[in-house]
Amino acid sequence: MKKKMISMLLAVSMVAALATGCGSGESQDNGSKDDVTTIKWFTSRPVDGAIDQTVREIADDYSKEKGGKVVVEFETTADRPSYLQKLKTLIAGGNMPDIIDIDADPYCQELVDAGMLVDVKKFLQDNDKYDDFYPTALRYQEFTDGSMYTLPLEYNVEMTWYNKEIFDQYGLAVPKTMDEWLDVCKTLKDNGITPISVDGVDRWPVQRYLAMMPFRETGNDFIIGLRDGKEKMSSQTGKEAAEFMQEIGQYFNDGFAATDYATAQSMFLDGKSAMYYIGNWEIAAMQDAYDAGKIDYFYLPTIENGKTQANEFCVNSGIGMAFNSETFDSKTKDFVLYLLDNYGEIYASKQQISPIKTELPSDVEFSDLYMRIRDDIENLGENFLKPWDTYLDADTNTTMQDNLLLLASGELSVDEFCNMIDESIAANVK
Amino acid sequence: MGVIKSKKWFLAFLLPGLLFYILAVFYPIEESLRLSFMDWGGIGEKKFVGFQNYIDMFHDKVFYESFLNNLIYLVIVVVMQLGIGLLFAILLTYMTKRVTLVKTLYYVPCIITTVAIAQLFRSMYATEPMGLLNQFLQSVGLDQFVTSWLADIHTALGAVSFPEGWRFTGMYMVIFYAALVSLDPSVYEAAKVDGASELQILFRIKIPLIKDIFLLTLTMCLTGALRGFDIPFLLTNGGPGNTTELLSTYMYKKAFSSNQYGYGSTVAVFIILESILVVFILRKIFSEKEKK
Repeated sequence: MKKKMISMLLAVSMVAALATGCGSGESQDNGSKDDVTTIKWFTSRPVDGAIDQTVREIADDYSKEKGGKVVVEFETTADRPSYLQKLKTLIAGGNMPDIIDIDADPYCQELVDAGMLVDVKKFLQDNDKYDDFYPTALRYQEFTDGSMYTLPLEYNVEMTWYNKEIFDQYGLAVPKTMDEWLDVCKTLKDNGITPISVDGVDRWPVQRYLAMMPFRETGNDFIIGLRDGKEKMSSQTGKEAAEFMQEIGQYFNDGFAATDYATAQSMFLDGKSAMYYIGNWEIAAMQDAYDAGKIDYFYLPTIENGKTQANEFCVNSGIGMAFNSETFDSKTKDFVLYLLDNYGEIYASKQQISPIKTELPSDVEFSDLYMRIRDDIENLGENFLKPWDTYLDADTNTTMQDNLLLLASGELSVDEFCNMIDESIAANVK
Repeated sequence: MGVIKSKKWFLAFLLPGLLFYILAVFYPIEESLRLSFMDWGGIGEKKFVGFQNYIDMFHDKVFYESFLNNLIYLVIVVVMQLGIGLLFAILLTYMTKRVTLVKTLYYVPCIITTVAIAQLFRSMYATEPMGLLNQFLQSVGLDQFVTSWLADIHTALGAVSFPEGWRFTGMYMVIFYAALVSLDPSVYEAAKVDGASELQILFRIKIPLIKDIFLLTLTMCLTGALRGFDIPFLLTNGGPGNTTELLSTYMYKKAFSSNQYGYGSTVAVFIILESILVVFILRKIFSEKEKK
């Protein structure tokens, strides 16, 4: 009887040991079974979007070229917040994938400080690829000190799209200055038109509006100073930013805090709002209305005696690709170089603007809108607005994004907002 | 033989369950507790900081706001789930036909996935395009109440609490109904003969007889509401501002958005303690009643 029980206990514990053994075995396995190398890309690009398609095509070709010995595995979480949460959990658990997507934000800096990421600038320079890129696309990926650990796969400008019919109806001209812009909004609102539709659910579109005035006044100096604790949100520039946020916030659609991306965009395209701020990655959605002469776009208006000019506005090269320094071996390097050689042309052929300079493929017809935006990009100025969420520490950024909605809807005062941000910066600056 | 009678054999049968429980429940709690004394951003070494996280927590305005929001959320959810659940269950006992059909229909919300529920209510609350709720208000001439329910700071908290209450009302209804119909009819029939009214029978006989079920459902419902997370998180992510922030969404934000795993764990530990305390108080109240 006693023996039976002991043997049973043993059996149970063995099963348990087996189960745990399997678990840890799997996580240790980095996929070099049967001399097939698996490179894992943990990614946050929209599934079946242009980038996703391009990299998949290239990865398939590469795999074929290598006789199936190298396989690139995609693990996609398009929704950014859940992607970041998964990524951070993987890294905290010591299981960083071979290739990841990350912005050059303070969290990324921590990874760099811990020696976990490959120096992409050096990699590009060593392999004579650095000059293949548009300089601004690379500068977007840089940290403030000029180092660069992330590789851009896209290149975007952001602009305000406007409804030409509505503008014509009320005799409005495209605003050249920020004041004119506010006047346009006021006229529209007085006539019962929703001036701007905004996606408040995702927070970042609202945050762009906060960044506008400081960018016009100081370039990115204000936000860098703010991040480093040398500048205050309650300074004059900071307050002006918050005041502008509150002023333009009254022209946002009702209930913008609960309006999501798709709704905000369809409001604009259905003519229910007069303006909508988004980047050229939505070019496909805008194409038809643009061709029909119903909509057009303008870039960020200027201010008098500002530091930045009309051809300087929000430009980004998106979330970057970064490489795990532990698993960045010759095989991964080889794949990345192959990717760089082929990316520009294939990506451009999908009506996208590539961060890698490339001749436009002759067998694809490009729209007027595409060519016009491409020209704009060729004529960019020296400065560009870098989104604030890539500068601020995660905690302050969460506080800012949460409370921005209240500031914009007028339920939080400028002073309260500024103090809240300053307190958070003070608590988090290192 | 006597396998069933042997106490040692019980142990052997309990062991798998116990092991699972320890691994899946106890170990994470222990880890949270350990992390709550640390300062850790997810990379590098954890730094021991003693009670600093707890001190910070009790000085954190947002923490108190979340706690208060959580209480309001709890009241709405408990009143809806238990109050309406019980009411429906009682009404159901007076129904003679199609009881199963009604029961099934009311139970349906429990099996819809959370994300679908969130999407459903997001559309209903919206103003652009005009949601069901606002359309209804307009059609009955209450235009002044038309608002974007999730964006308005005065209505957002109520709006995120309601779906959670609605969702499980059916489940509690089924539990109460099962308890009510299992009562021995001879007890209240005797009361009826003695001239008791239906209401008297309900409040003096039926409800006191299902007291144990109340303890069970209250425990489930209260701890559920204290841990409430999914629907508020999906609908508003705690916003606008922190007006719909609950303790659990705040914990999640601190740990996974702000990378303050230590502080997040501290809030988690608070939620655990709070839940244990509530269960303890409930048991105390119910067992004291028993003595009387």
